[in-house]
Amino acid sequence: MRLQLLKKSFIVAIIIAACGSAHAADKPMPKGKVMTMRVAMRDGLRFDPPRLKVNPGDEVTIQLENADSTHQMHNFVLVRPETRNEVVKVALEMGEAGPKRQFVPDLPAILAHSDLLAPDKTQRLTFTMPKQPAVYPYVCTFPGHGLVMYGAMYSGVPMPPLHEDPHLPSMLTQGLIPGGGRRPFVQRVFMPDSGPASIAVALPGEQNFCWDAGTCRLRYAWSGGFVDASEHWRGNGSAVARLPAEPWWKASAEVPALRVGAVHAEPPAVSFLGYQLEDGIPEFRYRAGAIEVREKITASSTGRGLSLRYRLTGATTTVWVPMPVAKGIRWLASAGEASHDHLRLTPEQAAEFTLTLSTTDEK
Amino acid sequence: MKSDRLLLFVMLSCLTAAAAEVDVARHYRVEPVMAPPGIEAQVGGLAVMPDGRVAACFHHGQVALFDPVKQSWQTFAEGLHQPLGLVAEKDGSLLVMQRAELTRLRDTDADGIADDYATLWAGFGLTGNYHEFAFGPALGPDGKLYVTLNLASNGDSIQEEIRGPWSDIGVPREKFYSDWANVKAKAGRMYSRVAWRGWTMQIDPATGEATPFASGFRSPDGVGFDADGKLIITDNQGDWRGANEVHVVKRDGFHGHPASLVWRRDWDGSDPLTLSREKLDALRTPAAIWLPENLYANSPTQPVVIPKTAAWGPFGGQLLVGEMNAPVLIRLLLEEVDGLWQGACVNLVKSESLKRGLHRLVFVGDTLFIGRTHLAWPGGEGLGTLKPTGDFPFDPLDIHITPKGFQLRFTEPLDASATDPGLWAIERYTFHYHAAYGSPQVDPAKLKPTCITLSTDALTAEVELPELKRDYVYDFDLSKLRSQQKQPVLNPRLAYTVRRVPSKADP
Repeated sequence: MRLQLLKKSFIVAIIIAACGSAHAADKPMPKGKVMTMRVAMRDGLRFDPPRLKVNPGDEVTIQLENADSTHQMHNFVLVRPETRNEVVKVALEMGEAGPKRQFVPDLPAILAHSDLLAPDKTQRLTFTMPKQPAVYPYVCTFPGHGLVMYGAMYSGVPMPPLHEDPHLPSMLTQGLIPGGGRRPFVQRVFMPDSGPASIAVALPGEQNFCWDAGTCRLRYAWSGGFVDASEHWRGNGSAVARLPAEPWWKASAEVPALRVGAVHAEPPAVSFLGYQLEDGIPEFRYRAGAIEVREKITASSTGRGLSLRYRLTGATTTVWVPMPVAKGIRWLASAGEASHDHLRLTPEQAAEFTLTLSTTDEK
Repeated sequence: MKSDRLLLFVMLSCLTAAAAEVDVARHYRVEPVMAPPGIEAQVGGLAVMPDGRVAACFHHGQVALFDPVKQSWQTFAEGLHQPLGLVAEKDGSLLVMQRAELTRLRDTDADGIADDYATLWAGFGLTGNYHEFAFGPALGPDGKLYVTLNLASNGDSIQEEIRGPWSDIGVPREKFYSDWANVKAKAGRMYSRVAWRGWTMQIDPATGEATPFASGFRSPDGVGFDADGKLIITDNQGDWRGANEVHVVKRDGFHGHPASLVWRRDWDGSDPLTLSREKLDALRTPAAIWLPENLYANSPTQPVVIPKTAAWGPFGGQLLVGEMNAPVLIRLLLEEVDGLWQGACVNLVKSESLKRGLHRLVFVGDTLFIGRTHLAWPGGEGLGTLKPTGDFPFDPLDIHITPKGFQLRFTEPLDASATDPGLWAIERYTFHYHAAYGSPQVDPAKLKPTCITLSTDALTAEVELPELKRDYVYDFDLSKLRSQQKQPVLNPRLAYTVRRVPSKADP
C-alpha cells in the first residue's frame, strides 16, 4: 500500500518534470486563428509537407491522407518540443498493447494524434496549439517509422531554410539533384520516355541528355537544369526522374543504334559494355553485331546542341547511322553521306566521325 | 489512474530495457562510424579493399572508401543506379551490382577515383517495376560471382519500355498498361515476366558469362557463403514465404516461389501460379531455416561468416545475418540431415545501440562494419561497428537434432537446475506454403521435455521431446536457465527448423 503510494507520487513528479509547463498549458488561452491544412503520408516514410507554419493558440485542422503506395500504415502524432525520440521509443516498447492502441502511448508529451491510417484512408484532426512559441514535432509512431518519419510544426518561431532545418530528417533537407549541380555529371536513374537502363548526363553549358543503355543510343536532349531524382530516391523507386524542361529533341523508341549493309536492314543486336569517364564526360561503349562502338557526347560550343563523336571498330561494310529528323532540328556530319534520315558511312569513314545535333533557332 | 499504471509500466519496461542494454554493453562494443560528407548514408553494399579501406555504396549511387586509420572518406564513384552490393577485387577494382547491370569500377589513371565503369553482365530483364532489385554479388569459393534478382511486385505496374524478352505466360503485357486493377489481382503478388527474375545467377568474373543457377526466390536481399563455402541466401516473408527464410542453395534448386519457374529451360509453358501445392512441393528445396516473423526477423539481410579469431571466441566460424526492422544481428546454425539442410536462428546481439536497417555487413579484421538503409521501408541510415569486448555471454552456442530431440551446447556450463524440464519453455508450430502473404503460426503446441541430461562438463544439454515433426519450428525460450555462475542467457530465444529427423540408427 505504502509502496503504491510512493510510486504514485513518483509518477506525478515525473509527469510534472516531463511537461514543464503542463499546468500553464491547461489554462484557457486566447483564441487564435482557425487554420486548415493538408498533410499526406507518402512513400519513403515521410510527411508531405514536412513542415507547417502555425501560430500559438491557433485552432488547427489537419486533413490527413495516407497516400503511401507501399501499403504502409501511418499515424500522425503531434508532440511537445524535444520529446519526439522519447515518444517514439515508448511507442516501440508498447508490446502487445501497441496495435490495440494504434501505437499511441499514453504520454503527456502527446498533444494530438490521429488514428493509425490504412493506405488511402483520410482523417480530419483538430487541435489547439499551445500558447508557447516553439517547434512542435509531428511523427508517425508505427514501429520503425518514427526514426525517419517526422516533420516540424513551426508555431510562432521563424522557419530556417529547408536545407538547414535541424528539426527534419536529413533525407528531407538534402538536395536531390544528382551531383548537386556539378557538371559534367552522370547519373543512372529511371528516366521518362526511355528504357529502364537509362543514363542521364549533365554537360557544361546547361546541356543534358538521356542515353539508353538498353538500346544503346541517345534518346533525347534538353537544356537547363539536370534531373530531379527525389521522387525516385525517396519513394519506393517507381517514380522516374523529373526533367525541369521539355526535351528539344527526342528519338522515337524504334530508332536503332545503327544498321549494317543496307539502310533497311534488320538492326544488329546491341549490348552495352559500359563507359569511360574523360574529365567527367562518359564515352559509351557498346557492341552492335560484330561492330564495337565508342560514342562520346559533348555539348556544342554555342547554344543548344550536342556533338556525338563515334569511333567504330570491326565494320566491314556500309554502316548506316540514324539521324532522326524533327522540326527545328539540324544534323551535321563530319564524314559520310547524308541520305534522308540516315548517315551512310564506308567502313573507313566509320572508324571515326562526328555528328552534330542542334536546333535551327540557335543564335 | 489507468494512465498512471501505464506510465509505471512504461517506466519499468524502460528500466528493464536499460538493464538489458547494460548486459549487452558488457559483451559487445557498438560504435558509430562517421558518415561520408554530403552523401545520404543509406548503404547498399560493403566490401574491404586490398589496402584495408572499407568500400561502401549508397542509395543515390555513390561509392566511397573509408580509411579506418585516418577516419576519412573518399568518393570513388558516382552516378550508379541503386547499387545493392559490392565485391572488392585484388587489383583494387570494385564489382558493384546496380539496378540494370553488374559493373566493374576501375581507376585506370591512378588518381584514386574510378574512371572506367565497365559492364560485366547486363543479361537480365528490367520492367522498371520498383521491386526488381538486384542483389549481390557474392564471390564464391569457386571464384564465381553470385547475384540474385528480385521479383516485381503488384504494388505497381511496369514501365512502357522494358529491357529483355517478355514471358507470355500470364496476363498479357498490354493489360499492364490498360487494365492495371485487373492485372494487380491476377498477376500474382510478386511476378517474373522478364528474364531471371526470382533467380540466382552465377557470373564468371573474367568473361561476364552468366549461368542460371537456382530459382524460386522472392526478395533475396542477402547473398553470401558460410565457412564451408555453401551458398546462403536469405529471403523475405511474403507470398509463398510463410516466414523469413534462409536457403542453402545448390545448382538447379527451386526454392519455393513459383513465379520464377517460367524461365526454366525445360518449362512446359504452364502458369506456375496454377500448379497445385503438391506439385510445387515436389519440385522445391525448402528453406533450411525459418526466421519467424516479429519473433526473430522481419526482413533478413546479408549473411557473413564470423572470423575464427580469439576476439570472437566461441562464435568464430558461425554465420551472422542482419535484419532491417529490429536492432538485431542473428546467428544461423546449420546442419545436414538426410541430405537436407536445416538448423536454427538465435540472436548474437540485440541492442538499441545498433539501430535499425542493418542491411550490409563486412568484417575488417575482428571489427564488424554495419551499413544501414531503409529505402521506402522501415530501417535506418549510417554506419557503425560492433566488436566483442572479450567477456563472452552465456548463450546457446550450437544445436543439433537427435532422434529424440535436440542437443544444445552452451558457451558456459549450465547450472544443475537445467535438468528441470519445467525450466525449458518450448513451442512448436509450422507455417503455410501458399500464395497469401506470410502465414500465421499453424498447429502451435507447447511441449514439455520428457528428459534433460547434462554432459559431464555441463556445457551440453540433451533435450528429449515427446515428438519431433518434419517441417515444424521448435522455438525455445531459455530465459529460465542459468549458468553455473548464475547468469541468465543473454539471447534466450532460439528456433530450430526441422526438415528431417535423424533415424535412430544414426549416431
